[in-house]
Amino acid sequence: MTQEEIFDKVVEIVTPYAKNHEALGDVTEETNILVDLEVNSARLVDVILAFEDAFDIEVEDEDADAVNTVGDAVELIQNLLD
Amino acid sequence: MKKPTRLPHLPFKSRAGLTVQREISRLLGVVWIPAVAFVMRFMLFYRIQDARRVRRRFRRLVNEVDGPLLICPNHLTMVDSALVAWALGGSWWYVFNYRRMPWNLPEYHNFAANWANRAVVWVAKCIPIVRGGAREDVAKVLSKVQHVLSRKETAMMFAEGGRSRTGRVDVESAAHGVGRIASSITGCKTLCVYLRGKKQKSWSTIPALGDSFYVDFKFIEPTSENSGMRRSRDFARQITESLAEMELRYFALQGS
Repeated sequence: MTQEEIFDKVVEIVTPYAKNHEALGDVTEETNILVDLEVNSARLVDVILAFEDAFDIEVEDEDADAVNTVGDAVELIQNLLD
Repeated sequence: MKKPTRLPHLPFKSRAGLTVQREISRLLGVVWIPAVAFVMRFMLFYRIQDARRVRRRFRRLVNEVDGPLLICPNHLTMVDSALVAWALGGSWWYVFNYRRMPWNLPEYHNFAANWANRAVVWVAKCIPIVRGGAREDVAKVLSKVQHVLSRKETAMMFAEGGRSRTGRVDVESAAHGVGRIASSITGCKTLCVYLRGKKQKSWSTIPALGDSFYVDFKFIEPTSENSGMRRSRDFARQITESLAEMELRYFALQGS
């Protein structure tokens, strides 16, 4: 799976949880999931569990702590897929 | 059954800081613990229903626990942690059983926004947390809780993410961090506590003056066949569901 495909899938998964719909039109790797997309911090767990389902991976709590931006999520997923 | 998750490394400075905090808090406990109880009993006129029986049962149960103890109450007011601790252990018992005075995680902006408040909560065995704050900062606080529990201490974490806006236990808002802590500490006992004032209709800042509190509690042993975050989520959900069951019992008793 290419980085671009992972990125697109991550954005697709995050979209229903984002409160800032305007920011969704301009998502980059630097976009902060909590701050820019305004995903509720409690729902971030659901987002990461959705990553697990979509990519067939398992994320530890400590690894999830490092996920702040879309790029962080892509990097984490890529590392777990490798 | 899956293995508990690994504990993150806590730097020496943080570990030493927690030890210093605990010992100073313990030495000053002879002052601050009875003072908190005095305020609740004689200034706010709170009363614990059947207090003697509640405390006898709590002390008996806790005396059987040699290891770490995680207390998970429901959450309706901003003083719930003090109320729950007082309801369960009284005041002087904690002075002589300081390990069982729970570490608390008050919301930073509510309880530690200035140096005076920070000093008070530091002495009162608290580790302030910014709810919904930067993930690294929240993770640091959770690491501290994991550390104190791994030292066979007691911690209190609300099972829901915040005060219940519906006035009822909301299973859907189970706090993931609680499950993360409960699932990561080997041998950690989880005590679910349901506390509610008779006048408490919904959530509030503090309970009504002169309120009397119903208290129920039970140990649960959350389980999960999953690992990683799903395991933490399963634990958090089972803790919250247990509180929801206790709440049903409370309202059934009120109706009878």
